[in-house]
Amino acid sequence: MNYILHLLIMIGIYLVLSYGLNLVVGFGGLLSLCYAVFYGIGAYASTLLMVKVGISFIPAVLLGIVIAAIFAFLIGVPALRFRGDSFVLVTLGIQMIVFTILYNWVDLTRGPYGIPGIPRPVVAGYEITSLYEYLILVGVILLFSLSVLFILYNAPFGLALKALRDDEMAAEGLGKSPVHMFLYAFVISAVFASTAGSLYAAYVTYIDPTSFTLDESIFLLAILLVGGAGNRIGPFVGTVFMILLPEALRFLGLPDTVAPNVRQMIYGLTLIVLMFLRPQGLAGEYRVK
Amino acid sequence: MTLLLQLLHNALVNAAIYSLLAVGFGLVYRSMRFFHIAFGAVYIVSTYMVIAATVNFGLPLPPSIAIGLLIASVTGWIMDRTVYFPLENAGATPGVLFIASLGIYILFVNLIALLFGNEVKILLKGIEPSFSIGSLIFTRMQFIQFAVGWIVVLFFWIGIRKNTLIKGIWAMGETPVLVRVLGLPYKRMRTVVFTLSSALAGTASILTALDVGIDPHVGMQALLTGAVAVIVGGVDVFWGWIGGALILAVLQSIAVWQFSARWNDLITFGILIATLLLRPQGLFSPKKRREER
Repeated sequence: MNYILHLLIMIGIYLVLSYGLNLVVGFGGLLSLCYAVFYGIGAYASTLLMVKVGISFIPAVLLGIVIAAIFAFLIGVPALRFRGDSFVLVTLGIQMIVFTILYNWVDLTRGPYGIPGIPRPVVAGYEITSLYEYLILVGVILLFSLSVLFILYNAPFGLALKALRDDEMAAEGLGKSPVHMFLYAFVISAVFASTAGSLYAAYVTYIDPTSFTLDESIFLLAILLVGGAGNRIGPFVGTVFMILLPEALRFLGLPDTVAPNVRQMIYGLTLIVLMFLRPQGLAGEYRVK
Repeated sequence: MTLLLQLLHNALVNAAIYSLLAVGFGLVYRSMRFFHIAFGAVYIVSTYMVIAATVNFGLPLPPSIAIGLLIASVTGWIMDRTVYFPLENAGATPGVLFIASLGIYILFVNLIALLFGNEVKILLKGIEPSFSIGSLIFTRMQFIQFAVGWIVVLFFWIGIRKNTLIKGIWAMGETPVLVRVLGLPYKRMRTVVFTLSSALAGTASILTALDVGIDPHVGMQALLTGAVAVIVGGVDVFWGWIGGALILAVLQSIAVWQFSARWNDLITFGILIATLLLRPQGLFSPKKRREER
């Protein structure tokens, strides 16, 4: 039972991430490889605020969001001048740089040693300890995030993003500014990544930089590429597929030593096959350009 | 003075390897105009095949290296024939090719990790003999890396100027449509691009692995080094790629001396982002008019 609860919590956290990234990848049509940066900044900011400054969970999460949003703004302004290959490369570069800093700035982040013993979240004077309570916390945040994002998806903002994705010059001619719209999308998606990061840190109670590597960014992008992006159902399909696949392999009786590699190989193969058969992903509507 | 010379010497040795990577990556990027991530997969396949030949089949090192390079080239060719070429015929965009390539990379890295394990493997045991000229010290392996790297680069440069097929490949990046219009052997040119690029990846990989060993995850690092050198130097200028490799190597050796090797990624990608922001056509490319891009 605990095992199922754990899976549900992880799916919840990754749903927040994938629906947030959907705004940039699916609606904006920008393949970002630095989403794990904001996930990591959220996790580290809220953790350090709780452990070193000693403020409680909810203000720490909110401050973490503010910090991630500021970083997203500072990264987005130069990065969003690019499209296509150059955008992928610049975000990849940012991902590598931020990881190097998280890993090597030992005074602040304790680097490879990680931060153990993160206090359990206290919400309204009530300490969350059991898995059920965590599931409720994640569920509430997920519901809140999804309602905000679903409104944005259908709002003029989401439609403007789609228009810019499909034909930037035409949309610009209609008065939709790519500079502003993409930057808003980038910052808003970072807000959700940061929330998910704080939740992850509070749930696992230990973080180190290896959770926020380039591989994690690729994994998050792969969720959207496999499931599909640009609508409401794609990220859900992708998250469930990518999180439950390793568990399905476990039931097939694969030994633990080979399971992670076999899982990754299936991800790789899935991406190749999808590019042949369904470039828009299993349930998506955005085709990669 | 000695320190400076030693740094410069280390940078030149590293630049030889980086140039191999840059030429290998640049060949595909320049002629096909898509981001060949699976280059990193070919990179590790070659050395692991050498390891398989020496350790598992007990062959001596030189034939094993030949086998490694051969298998790497064939792997690159098969990737093109099974994935890229059919996809392109179906009208795939560079983004689709990029993601398929990412899929191939993930597939191969984990296959290798599954077969050989995740730990670092070493090709040569024992301490390398070293020489000194004046106050400069270098190992035998550094000398081999330096010589092989720069000779291959020189051959390539001659090829681009003299060999019709390679000239055609170079021109292909300019206007891909014209290749078929002019009746140039498009399929054969693709074969040459992918086998050569893979052989270069293999050369760089084996040269590096002879010195410091290999693990299945270094492919991404190698790919990114090559890609950054090409883009920093300028995609359209051959000597720009080499210049990019030199700049990376020199700045990294200065960083190792001043700070620590841990900050190398910061240097590499800092240069990449700065170049893309300030001089998107690359440091050594002439500035283009807007309508030429």
